[in-house]
Amino acid sequence: MTRATFHMRNDPADVDRAVVALKCHVANALGTAGLFRFELSLAEALANVVKHATTSAPDAPVVIEFEVTRDAVQVEICDPIGAAPFDLRDHAHPLESIDLLAEEGRGLGLILNATDHMDYRRKADRMCLFLTFLKSKD
Amino acid sequence: MIKTLSHDAGVTVVRPGAERLSAANAKAFKDEVAQLIESGSAQLVIDLSGVSFVDSSGLGALVGLLKKIGYRGDLAMAGLNADVAQMFRICRMDKVFKIYPTVDQAAEKMADAL
Repeated sequence: MTRATFHMRNDPADVDRAVVALKCHVANALGTAGLFRFELSLAEALANVVKHATTSAPDAPVVIEFEVTRDAVQVEICDPIGAAPFDLRDHAHPLESIDLLAEEGRGLGLILNATDHMDYRRKADRMCLFLTFLKSKD
Repeated sequence: MIKTLSHDAGVTVVRPGAERLSAANAKAFKDEVAQLIESGSAQLVIDLSGVSFVDSSGLGALVGLLKKIGYRGDLAMAGLNADVAQMFRICRMDKVFKIYPTVDQAAEKMADAL
């Protein structure tokens, strides 16, 4: 089992760098399909945090922790301190219900679609998104 | 950011000029291509062969460009890698866009339809 912690600036321009770095760290833990689901979920989730996490401390980083176990890759994305809670399950729309010509609104549905388990709850002083990717789904 | 190439029969090929089309650059990409459309380019092929990843914002930008072209021209995709093609399928964009394996095939089909 391995654990690691990353910090991402609360800035849209830092999302891609963070996603690529995280993907490199789980490259040996997931297969091709799993890595695709991982990259997609992380990209959408981190972009969503940056977009919605209105915070009194804009310089506070987004903290990302992940753990690779025998069966799964588990990711925790913690909102910046002071950010208003945003449970994406309350806002996501099924992908099949979205107008084909809509220009937005797919991101949250993609996260739900691409992860094997998702939770959003308080951890210490922050609200955190928990994403699980099962190795058996590869 | 974008790079453009003129192809046969008035077809313009657009390369995003970035390896990822994501929330960080989707708006800039859309604005640049929209400017191209406003300046008269109406037959566009988006060459995604150099793009390894597209997120929902990237897809949204492409949909916006398709709507901007509307009936005045055509917009096709070419060169999707396996992950980008999968993203298009998951979001049903394979039902929205004309998608070709290569830029040449896309441009040829577009020229034939003129």
